[in-house]
Amino acid sequence: MTRKKVKLAFITNDSARKATFKKRKKGLMKKVSELSTLCGIDACAIVYGPYDSHPEVWPDSRGAHRVLAQFKRMPEMEQSKKMVNQESFIRHRITKAADQLKKLHKDNREKEITHLMYQCLTGKELQGLGVAELNDMGWLVDQNLKEIYKRIEGLKKAAGERDGVEEKPVADGSMQRAAVQQQWLTDQWMGNINPSDNQQGVGGSFGHGSGGWDEINMQFNDGSNHAAAMWANGFFP
Amino acid sequence: MAKKPNMGRQKIKIEKIEVKNHLQVTFSKRRSGLFKKASELCTLCGVEIAIIVFSPAGKVFSFGHPNVESIIDRFLARSTGPNSHDPFHLVEAQRNASVRELNLQLGQILNEVEVERKRGENLDNMRKTNESHYWWEAPVSKLGLEELEQLRDAMEELKKNVSQHANKLMNPSSMFVSNGAGGIFDQSRVNLVREL
Repeated sequence: MTRKKVKLAFITNDSARKATFKKRKKGLMKKVSELSTLCGIDACAIVYGPYDSHPEVWPDSRGAHRVLAQFKRMPEMEQSKKMVNQESFIRHRITKAADQLKKLHKDNREKEITHLMYQCLTGKELQGLGVAELNDMGWLVDQNLKEIYKRIEGLKKAAGERDGVEEKPVADGSMQRAAVQQQWLTDQWMGNINPSDNQQGVGGSFGHGSGGWDEINMQFNDGSNHAAAMWANGFFP
Repeated sequence: MAKKPNMGRQKIKIEKIEVKNHLQVTFSKRRSGLFKKASELCTLCGVEIAIIVFSPAGKVFSFGHPNVESIIDRFLARSTGPNSHDPFHLVEAQRNASVRELNLQLGQILNEVEVERKRGENLDNMRKTNESHYWWEAPVSKLGLEELEQLRDAMEELKKNVSQHANKLMNPSSMFVSNGAGGIFDQSRVNLVREL
């Protein structure tokens, strides 16, 4: 089946229009039929083509008459409640599309700001950013911090309860440490750390499993940024 | 996420659906799709259509161009002349013009939706790539304790810097905002500034 994007306008080319009409009419009838069977409901479709004064009807003339009679038996209000024509239907589609667009804008904005945040976290200058971006980013940072604090608390609680269970960080799967060591580490990081002390004490953990840290080191070469400077103080002598 | 995760296009057998919930959802979606197809057929080929559909609950949905009643009347009366139903050609011309306008509008906005959706996809892909390369971009739930603490410290630092820069831009003369009269920002963001 060809998948060319079709413009929502009257097809001026006669032969193209005729071909489209034939195809789409067939497809429409098929869809009505499927709907009726799948959901076990009554329906009818009446299509007046431009070439034929006799309409094409689904299911057939008799079936259509039956459904129409059923329709007319309903109170006026019920009939018109869910009745639409081209104008109202297209308007409705426009509204739905507008809502969809709004949501997509919002989601994409959040994605962009998230990306920006990570860039700024690893060295990008805040200088050139506008107020809107800064504010959005600030909000996002807050949201992330909330999550982080929550999880830190959860982990500390769990570590306190289940002694000896290991936590595996993402950076390097081979980094294993006992809860005791972790607690010691935590204490180290909480206060002002002397990097050299840390390197000795922990031994193998940072020594060999430093794949992740090397990456960070690569990330920012200019010491001019706050964030980079902060990280540098923390881990790299 | 730009697209809701669903099961995609599944081939189903055309027979009555057993599960009531599925049936209702299917009805809703397919009825909507059916009317959309009918609307497109009317626009593309300039034809007149009526569709009447009863819902599983017994309500009736109908679509008609130019309108449901005139098509029904025409069908039941079995009149053969294509123009016998509307002597007011002016009204019809007017209606067709507004439909043309609406279709243009719809086409435009659908294009915009498509653009945004693609943009979202690209952003998702970029994020996925970054997540696998940089541990700090991974979801918080996947991080270990001191990664979290590192991240926390970095984030706190960033937060401070952001506040400073934002303040500088909003009040070039002073470092502090006297009241929450930032005006254009909502409460959560004003709080961020207030924290300074």
